Amino acid sequence: MFPQKESGAPATCMGPASTQDLNSSYGDGMAGECSRKPDQKLPELRGMGDLTMFSSDSSYLSSRGRMIKWFWDSAEEGYRTYHMDEYDEDKNPSGIINLGTSENKLCFDLLSERLSQQDMQWVEPSLLQYPDWRGHLFLREEVAKFLSFYCKSPAPLKPENVVVLNGCASLFSALATVLCEAGEAFLIPTPYYGAITQHVYLYGHVRLAYVYLDSEVTGTDTRPFQLTVEKLEMALQEANSKGVKVKGLILINPQNPLGDIYSPGELQEYLVFAKRHELHVIVDEVYMLSVFEDSVGYRSVLSLEGLPDPQRTHVMWATSKDFGMSGLRFGTLYTENQDVATAVASLCRYHGLSGLVQHQMAQLLRDRDWINQVYLPGNHARLKAACAYVSEELRALRIPFLSRGAGFFIWADLRKYLRKATFEEEMLLWRRFLHNKVLLSFGKAFECKEPGWFRFVFSDKAQRLRLGMQRVRQVLEGDAQMAEDSPALADPGAK
Amino acid sequence: MSHQSETCPVPSDQKPGQVLKDQSTYDQLLKMVLHLQWLVKKHFIQLEVTRRRQQLEGEKHAESICEQGNYLNLLMSKMVNVLRSGATSGLECQEYLPCLDSRDDVRSEQRAELSRQPDPLVPQLSDFEPAFVSHDLSNRGADISVLYHSSFQDYIAYQGDKFHEENNPLGFINLGTSENKLCIDLMIKRLSENDMNHIEDFLLQYPDWRGQPFLREEVAQFLTYYCRAPAQLDPENVVVLNGCCSVFSALAMVLCDPGEGFLVPTPVYGGFAFSSRLYAHVELIPVHLESEITEANTCPFQLTVDKLEQVLLEAKSKGKKVKGLILTNPQNPLGDIYSRDSLKEYLTFAKRYNLHVIIDEIYLLSVFDESITFHSVLSIKSLPDPNRTHMIWGTSKDFGISGFRFGVLYTHNKDVASAVGSFGYLHSISGIDQHKLSKLLHSREWIDSRYLPTNRSRLRDAHRYITKKLKELKIPFLYRGAGLYIWINLKKYLDPCTFEEEVLLLRRFRDNKLILSCGKAYMCKEPGWFRLVFAENSFRLRLAMRRFCQVLQEQKQSWIEKQLEESVKE
Repeated sequence: MFPQKESGAPATCMGPASTQDLNSSYGDGMAGECSRKPDQKLPELRGMGDLTMFSSDSSYLSSRGRMIKWFWDSAEEGYRTYHMDEYDEDKNPSGIINLGTSENKLCFDLLSERLSQQDMQWVEPSLLQYPDWRGHLFLREEVAKFLSFYCKSPAPLKPENVVVLNGCASLFSALATVLCEAGEAFLIPTPYYGAITQHVYLYGHVRLAYVYLDSEVTGTDTRPFQLTVEKLEMALQEANSKGVKVKGLILINPQNPLGDIYSPGELQEYLVFAKRHELHVIVDEVYMLSVFEDSVGYRSVLSLEGLPDPQRTHVMWATSKDFGMSGLRFGTLYTENQDVATAVASLCRYHGLSGLVQHQMAQLLRDRDWINQVYLPGNHARLKAACAYVSEELRALRIPFLSRGAGFFIWADLRKYLRKATFEEEMLLWRRFLHNKVLLSFGKAFECKEPGWFRFVFSDKAQRLRLGMQRVRQVLEGDAQMAEDSPALADPGAK
Repeated sequence: MSHQSETCPVPSDQKPGQVLKDQSTYDQLLKMVLHLQWLVKKHFIQLEVTRRRQQLEGEKHAESICEQGNYLNLLMSKMVNVLRSGATSGLECQEYLPCLDSRDDVRSEQRAELSRQPDPLVPQLSDFEPAFVSHDLSNRGADISVLYHSSFQDYIAYQGDKFHEENNPLGFINLGTSENKLCIDLMIKRLSENDMNHIEDFLLQYPDWRGQPFLREEVAQFLTYYCRAPAQLDPENVVVLNGCCSVFSALAMVLCDPGEGFLVPTPVYGGFAFSSRLYAHVELIPVHLESEITEANTCPFQLTVDKLEQVLLEAKSKGKKVKGLILTNPQNPLGDIYSRDSLKEYLTFAKRYNLHVIIDEIYLLSVFDESITFHSVLSIKSLPDPNRTHMIWGTSKDFGISGFRFGVLYTHNKDVASAVGSFGYLHSISGIDQHKLSKLLHSREWIDSRYLPTNRSRLRDAHRYITKKLKELKIPFLYRGAGLYIWINLKKYLDPCTFEEEVLLLRRFRDNKLILSCGKAYMCKEPGWFRLVFAENSFRLRLAMRRFCQVLQEQKQSWIEKQLEESVKE
């Protein structure tokens, strides 16, 4: 079922071919973090565009339409189940608690208050008419100032390098389209935010070539799932040897789902690697302000002096995570490459956001006092407390996990609860969680190489979090019980 | 390429006494120098491109071109600065050519790189040849850039230099983009009311990607009422995205595979061609309509089933796979409205050949002639093929809020709805706006008793003015009672009557700071047609018409001169 695993080599998983194994959490991007039934597999595809074998029943759709629909339908299991039975303290106390979708639900009070203030309600003719598709100049100026300040750029960033769109999903889609031909690929270290697969594929038909990382610390590695230039080189070679043209590298920093942060030194190395191979680098920094441990020392790529290849370095940021407003649909590209900015802007007719929202975003980003004195301290303290709580729970269960003080999630190792080290077992465990009314995301959704890893989102209200963790505990303790009862089934590799 | 420098805007030296009569000499000089600077810059870009294209010359030659270019540029900048310090009006804060100055330092820094890195200015100034676009982009990325800039050149120019009564009286007036600017006052008032400003937690979270249920509910009710649907429309059949071009793009993706086609009667809104090519790679197969009235053609540009059938069969015989038919009703750019019977005929034709019908009714509420009854496709009791009939609507035109980014798909076909819905996260609308839109669509009383009557009467007034003016000028046009535009015939100003001349006339309008759109952009078969948008406030509309007349006069003048010259030669 996962042929690339058998080869033992760092496999290169490609586009639609990979979508067949790419299980599904199309995550926040698409249908909430949710998952596809393991038995629903995409048939093997013979090259791009040849999707005629699609079994989807609708005769009304084109073959790509059928595939798109298939993507959608099969991704919905978790999300649909969740939405039909959402937890509500009063109305549906036995509903599903969502610890799967990476959303920050801790600061709605602060945000509502800010967004309800008078300056947000401004309406003027230019906001209601066709805009500059790159984004209104007033907003791009504000974004440039904002990023200069919070990314600590050595020189002020320029508004003409900013393009504004309705979210990072659109941005991935547009960048893939203008940087790659159909069938070409981006390198991406796994585990990674799985929704990107669909973002780059849906319109762009661009594939991802995986750089598989291990949890085991070997060789010169100092931490689990460590990305090294050596691994990048190997994955690139592998892809090339399969005749796949790699056009770029996608880095997520802070990383999702690991919560990892690249040091400036590492970042520089990856960028030099990319330059050596003339690869574009897309750096997704959507969690840049969600680093809640002060000791971490996060550095944005925009803070580096002397980027190795500035014309091929493209940075994305959005308000979905850092300002907990995934429903607001605001994302931005920063690139010094005017051709890339212009080409992405040419697609913005399709990915535009309303003038009123542009005004609101400019007001929000400009309000440095509120951000620095109210929002960030409040947000970080709440994230920290929530993270501490879930960590404590996991520790009590003796579950190993990674948590580095950034992002909304903890990457937990539940391998000992799998009876066999397979993704089917992982899916079964996930379904037991869902059955017990708690939605999580499983490792396969992030294309993790090892079955048994789960992502726990902790950025939710204490009460829901407590209940969620209680339900997790119930499932795991029941499982542990079962495993003890039948030791033969226990995973020999479990720690 | 080569004709460029002759045809590019020469705003001031042509008629210094007319547009610029109130400006000081300094301003005029500054403008001329800015223009000269632009020309020089462009000249060097062209040289550079020629060199790169031929790839014959060595690096040295390139360097000397750059050096000359930079030197001239430097001189120009100095002149500009001297003039600026003496200029009296607001010209200095006006970006005549965007980035011109800010680029200078960048350029010298990047000098060594110049031969590799195309000038960022180029996109704004040229007709865009692929040769300009950097190797950083994929071929399709370059194609997208080129396509966008060639299609929206005028729009981009307009964005950089908009007319403003006080701040920029010499700026562009745009009668090319179909926007309703007549009711902005009402909209601002409505959107500023208290019910609009509402924040709830769930509005800030990931939405249902087909649109928030409360909004789809509202849309279904709205369309049921205004389209006079025989039965209540179903919110489950509604998908809302950030604009009608997004809806069309997603529809094209899910209904066609690359290379397949849609039939489309022309002249037609150019956005379809753009959208089809950009992401979906779908071909538009034109059903060319003619202006001449004949036996089969009882009114100009009449669409008949015979014509549809003929083109379909022709396309099929060429091995093309035709998947659907695109209709716009009220038609853009003609302003035509299909009768219920003809609509049914087209739908029946489509059913006969298993074609999808995408029907764009974005001007549904912009029918300002009260004697006309508009029949929405959703009002038809028994659709010939409901599973292949997909209706598009949005608020951009009917409510004059194109900046709002809101488009709707209504389809009975659940598969199509869900497939289009999966594009939702690439074309999503903010939750806060979804709330506002639902409130707007809900305010039936305001719409019926305040907004629509006012909008219609303002459209009527503007239409009356424009038609009177055109009659005075003896310019033929289609007199229709719907839409924001009027389709006019300027054939008599073209000599010879070719598309080249049409573009030249369009440029002449642009040189006089008036943006129109020409027939070619609508895939019109006959050269000489132009679309003129009249939904502009009366001051600007009047000024625009002054510029319009001026250009036509000039056009005639240059004609006479040409004829004189020729007769002298003889």
